[in-house]
Amino acid sequence: MVIVLVIGLIVFAFVAWFPKPPPKPDATWVHILETGAWRVGIDPSFPPFESDDAKGNLSGFDIALADEIARAWSSANATPIHVEYVYSGFDGLYDALKARQFDAIVSALPYDPKKTEDVYFSHAYFDGGPHLIVRADDATTKTYYDLQGKAIGVELGSTGDAFARRWQRRLKFDLRTFNTPADALRALRAGQVDAVFTDLVAFNDFSRAEGGVKQVGDALIHEFLVIAVRKDTPTLLAQINAVIDAMKSDGRMERLYAEWLVGRETAGR
Amino acid sequence: MRILTRLGQICQSLYREGERGRGGEGENFLPLSHSPTLPRVFQTIFRVLQAAALAALLYALAAPPPILVTLGSQQVVRTTNPKVGVHTRVTDEVEEWKIKKNFEMVREMGATWVVEYFPWEYIENDEGNFDWAHADLVVDHARRQGLTVIARLGFVPRWARPKDSVTSYLDEARYPAFAHFAAEFARHFAGRVQHIIIWNEPNLNFEWGYRGVDPAGYARMLQAVYARVKKVDPSVQILGGALAPTLAPPGTPDALNDLDYLQQMYDAGARDYFDALAIHAYGWNAPADEAPSPRRVNFRRTELLREIMIKNGDASKRALITEGGWNDHPRWTKAVHPAERITYTLRAYDLCQTWDWIDACALWAFRYPFPAQSYLDYFTFLTPEFDPKPIYWEVQKYAAR
Repeated sequence: MVIVLVIGLIVFAFVAWFPKPPPKPDATWVHILETGAWRVGIDPSFPPFESDDAKGNLSGFDIALADEIARAWSSANATPIHVEYVYSGFDGLYDALKARQFDAIVSALPYDPKKTEDVYFSHAYFDGGPHLIVRADDATTKTYYDLQGKAIGVELGSTGDAFARRWQRRLKFDLRTFNTPADALRALRAGQVDAVFTDLVAFNDFSRAEGGVKQVGDALIHEFLVIAVRKDTPTLLAQINAVIDAMKSDGRMERLYAEWLVGRETAGR
Repeated sequence: MRILTRLGQICQSLYREGERGRGGEGENFLPLSHSPTLPRVFQTIFRVLQAAALAALLYALAAPPPILVTLGSQQVVRTTNPKVGVHTRVTDEVEEWKIKKNFEMVREMGATWVVEYFPWEYIENDEGNFDWAHADLVVDHARRQGLTVIARLGFVPRWARPKDSVTSYLDEARYPAFAHFAAEFARHFAGRVQHIIIWNEPNLNFEWGYRGVDPAGYARMLQAVYARVKKVDPSVQILGGALAPTLAPPGTPDALNDLDYLQQMYDAGARDYFDALAIHAYGWNAPADEAPSPRRVNFRRTELLREIMIKNGDASKRALITEGGWNDHPRWTKAVHPAERITYTLRAYDLCQTWDWIDACALWAFRYPFPAQSYLDYFTFLTPEFDPKPIYWEVQKYAAR
């Protein structure tokens, strides 16, 4: 009996602690390495994230991000990998991914918990939700809780507007609506409102063009942008996440923000 | 609970019986079920009752109580524009409290009219057997909130169409069956529903069972339905049309331009078989005030449909907008900015108020029971979780001004 027990323990220890072979890479990742092509689905109608100049030239934050990911893979695997962009309407991106028309969606795609049954989402690379914006000389406002009874400017109908209306009853905001985020930010700078709830793209546009305002704190509501891959491509997901994490920690992501979301020429929504 | 009370009473009476048999409490106390003074058959019955009472108690404790939903007291819509309406989507809403909540929030927004879909298959799943339970819930809750219901009929049941065909496929040989259903609908909802839309967007191939759009065929459908319904309830208004606004050029297999389709309906003799025109008035990218043009899909395209009615001698007929509005999806090509959507929507309600030939302006869509996970989610006034979007509050403010 003792012998059986000892043998059992040995077998258990062997199974539990013996180093396992690394999981087999998924077929899509293998195919990317073999062909040197990463097929990315995109709807190029959303500057500053992606746009087509009508001559087939793509540009934008997502293009720079996908290219950077491919560059990182090229160096890590000592094989050249480039991105092949496949155009699709925004509403058709998920279906096209499922139909294997491409390997990933990189198209300012908002994280959607209801889609997690169908796809894997990467780590977030941008937060498109509304943020708290105040005048540059405002040293007292740290959160929206500091704005009780104050005048808040929002773009009519925007997510920032919805957020302000939700808190209006409790924090007694004096809500002022404007037709565009720029109008709201202009009113902020002129002292007509005490804060504005708007997204970082609109804030950066205004900040660069007219200045006098600053962003405070984290997003009021998170609207994370992510990359989506099929569920049969866990290796590809891990490879994407590894590069996104590295870009966040070594400053490359900040440089992309600066290049495409702050220092660009045209505003998009 | 009544069962438990009754079981308790039985137990008490048996216990008292046992007490009497023992001559009161004493050191020779035995459980009642083992009392020698009770006949064995009573002891068995007592044990069974004990077990049943215990089971009933456990069940009562374990099962959550049903949510109590009542129609509540009769409400009245308070609005400065009685033509304001919305198309609701409670057809697929299972829980009654959500149906009620939908209509409460429609009333609180200041809307008077609701358009709702009543699929034929849901009601007459088996030929000749009608299940009105869910439809009754919808109509009764809407009416209790003071709303006027416009019922849209369609969705062919399996038994009325060929195998593997789509639910918008209705062979002409089955028109009498559809007419019978519409008549039964009118009979069942007599005095409760006064407006019935016959079919949806028949100028789209998809909505016509992929058979190729056929205005004359639709005119014959109206004819079949009109006679049957009017026989049951002459006061019911039959709404024809509900055409999709489209610029499809002639010969396009997927659709026929709505203006051409309406004229061809008249040419086929449809005039005598509808009491009012249902209109779909989508604005796409254009402001509500943009001038109508046959080459533009915009809100005032409604006026072009009206001109066709007048040209065909139907000036005295009313029209009701039963779908329409704007979408504020950030990336859909036919969407507008959220602020524009709100501005255009309020202006559209204003325009309807000035059009004396329009009775209702019901825009798409109040709320979806679940997310469509596409641009369609950006047509709504509420989220599926009943969170009002800014447009809801702005319409409420507009209707209360």
